[in-house]
Amino acid sequence: MVSNYEKNYELIGHLLRRASFGANKKEIEIYAQKGYSKTVEELLYPSNTNSMPLDLIRRHHPEQSAGFESAGTACNWLYNMVTTSDPLTEKIILFWHNIFATGYSKVTIGKVLFDQLKMFKLYGMGNFKNLLIKLSQDPAMIHWLDNHDNHKGAINENYGRELLELFSMGVGNYSEDDIKECSRAFTGWTLQNLEYSKELAIRNSIWPYGKISWRYEYNEKDHDNDTKTFLGETGNFNGEDIIEIICKQPATANFLSRHLYNFFVADEPPVPQWPYIAPKDPKAIEILSKAYFESNYDIKHMLNVLFNSNFFKSDNCRYAKIKSPVDMVAGIIRLTKEFESPKTEILERNFQMIFMGQELLNPPSVEGWHQGTEWINTGSLTERLNFASKQITNISNPGTKSIIQNIIKENQDVNDPKEIINHCLEELGYINLSDNSLNVLNEFIGLDKNNNKITEKNIKNLLKLIVSAPEFQKV
Amino acid sequence: MTTIKTKKSFLNYSHTIGICVMDGRGFMFPVDTAIGKNGRLHTVSRAYTPAVFQLRITMYDINSNFYGVYGGYGENLGEFRWPTGMASDKYGNIYVSDELNHRINIFSEEGKPIKYWGETGINEGELNGPSGIAFDSDDNIFVADHLNNRIQKFTKDGDFISSFGDKGQDTLNMPWGLFISADEFIYVADWGNDRIAKYDTNGKLIRCFGNRGSQNGQFKNPSGVAVDNDGYIYITDWGNERLQILDKNGNFIETYRGESTLSKWGEEYMDGNYEEAEPRSRSNLEPDPTQFGGNPHEESAHIEKYFWGPTSVKLDDSGRVYITESNRHRVQVYERSK
Repeated sequence: MVSNYEKNYELIGHLLRRASFGANKKEIEIYAQKGYSKTVEELLYPSNTNSMPLDLIRRHHPEQSAGFESAGTACNWLYNMVTTSDPLTEKIILFWHNIFATGYSKVTIGKVLFDQLKMFKLYGMGNFKNLLIKLSQDPAMIHWLDNHDNHKGAINENYGRELLELFSMGVGNYSEDDIKECSRAFTGWTLQNLEYSKELAIRNSIWPYGKISWRYEYNEKDHDNDTKTFLGETGNFNGEDIIEIICKQPATANFLSRHLYNFFVADEPPVPQWPYIAPKDPKAIEILSKAYFESNYDIKHMLNVLFNSNFFKSDNCRYAKIKSPVDMVAGIIRLTKEFESPKTEILERNFQMIFMGQELLNPPSVEGWHQGTEWINTGSLTERLNFASKQITNISNPGTKSIIQNIIKENQDVNDPKEIINHCLEELGYINLSDNSLNVLNEFIGLDKNNNKITEKNIKNLLKLIVSAPEFQKV
Repeated sequence: MTTIKTKKSFLNYSHTIGICVMDGRGFMFPVDTAIGKNGRLHTVSRAYTPAVFQLRITMYDINSNFYGVYGGYGENLGEFRWPTGMASDKYGNIYVSDELNHRINIFSEEGKPIKYWGETGINEGELNGPSGIAFDSDDNIFVADHLNNRIQKFTKDGDFISSFGDKGQDTLNMPWGLFISADEFIYVADWGNDRIAKYDTNGKLIRCFGNRGSQNGQFKNPSGVAVDNDGYIYITDWGNERLQILDKNGNFIETYRGESTLSKWGEEYMDGNYEEAEPRSRSNLEPDPTQFGGNPHEESAHIEKYFWGPTSVKLDDSGRVYITESNRHRVQVYERSK
């Protein structure tokens, strides 16, 4: 028997806005019949992981097939986000892309970034130690942070530093000597065919036959095999040993927990401020850190604890985050079902995310994108409102057509504006608006003067206003 | 399926034509090649959005002599958006299908735009994503109407004659390339069904070759097909990144993974760019294929000589075989062994 609390549409809508890219009324109601806990379980262990077939995309977009440059690869990812039956995995890929931020501007091969996303997909919800090992062997990351220039006897600290500062522990939890020792342990972690690959990347060369992809290589001869002392432990450490030590640290548990909280629960300040500003909810970080250690660093277990926690389900964290451009664009596309097959418009949608401030596969720095109110400025807000209102009223999109038909059908005999507005909010995913926003909608609704009934035009105008409301900018 | 063993290779690699360039001499995601009058070759580059200005048809010959480009992105005369298939009529005019504008463009042998035809839709005579095209001996054109899952036959000026492949059992699934043999059978690369379908001129399905897989005689999303005068069937097995050859009864003859060397245009580029040529000369462009888990797409992304995105196979009167590779921006040429 599923309890009334478990069937709560708004609570499930909240979960699906965070763990997915939102959902429509029908989807929420289906999940509600199963209950909240079962919904969390299905998100973590989906029985269906279908998305638009890769072969179909590659047939129509050869540039995506070849992973030629960043826009095509970003579009390929967007196709997945908007058509997948396993949205939490896409969300996790986005989560790691923002933390292990790697950019096309230096990598210059879309295929290599595609491979990195694939690695996040395979390992992003598994054991954190394994993920860090795969990250350290990832060709895009090796080039992005110059680990192929990290040699025995002549270390390059770039990767070693960021591994500790941005990828695992955070500033203040290690010394400069630890960075050097860490870097020594990762000497020899490089790329196959290094000289030619680097030259082509530097020149962004497409000659003679397009781009050649990269593979990881361990060069034992270039590995520093001498004793190292790292975070108080001494031994003949290789990269795997360093990651083992990193994962044991409470600082790592706290850092990862705060990232999960920031991404899934409520906006935190940018990472550089974390050493100086305490977490919004220290108790939540403590709970997640405990989950990290009790599961031997298992990300999926941490997510299970997070989604089932009171701090996540609390009213206080509903609409407590600003939608990222990806959340906004992918969410609207999933609602309107614009892409049932490959179309050139996918590139336009990618551009719209860029205009809103988020260029996938080209983060502003190794620090990724700052979340929260930094997403909103006068330019990006205009772009968000224009995009959402245009898409939600375009009835050539099957999802939009269905939403409008459902609202008309449900309101044939209804002339109470509040009820009509409520139906619209339900169709868009059981959204809650403030009294202020609701009053505006009430004043605006303007039913047909002759028979006091709702028309398609009324509904379109209402939908435009709802997606322009402040609450719709949040998740 | 019987495998016929041959003592020597059925085909010999000859050479490669092409280079990846944004404009002019070379290609940018080429998807098909037409063999025009006097052996002139026309290859259409699909390019990609937003770099649509790179979309064009390149004219050249077997010796890599370059004769210019024509066509471009758009919806007006002489323009296309998602060009896919090419064919030449008996007068040497070049026909180009456009999956996004849903029409067939016609150019003179020198690349002058003549006209276009085609209406969008699902009814007979209408097109939804016209893909591969081919002419029969009467100069009627067959079009793989891929999103309507059928083949349609038109006069070369676009008057509808007949359609088939979308009714009854064994219907087509997103067909791509097609070929009309000398004995007037229509061979279709039935992309979504992982097989080659053979029809007679009345649209009756005669038989199918292959099923989904990576073994000899199996296919993954075949993109192109051609049949020589001896009845040998050449198939670009797109999902397996290879060329396969069957005999006229469908028996497996041979498979090719690709042997590309540096093209003449590529050599000229390297001659003027020693910064790339030197490290290239020391590089390993043939890494161990076993490290890619048997995934042909991955192998081709790393091994430069392999086919990557073989989208079409064409034959000339001399028995040469031309394989257009979208992802490697080139055409590999093979010849029948003597």
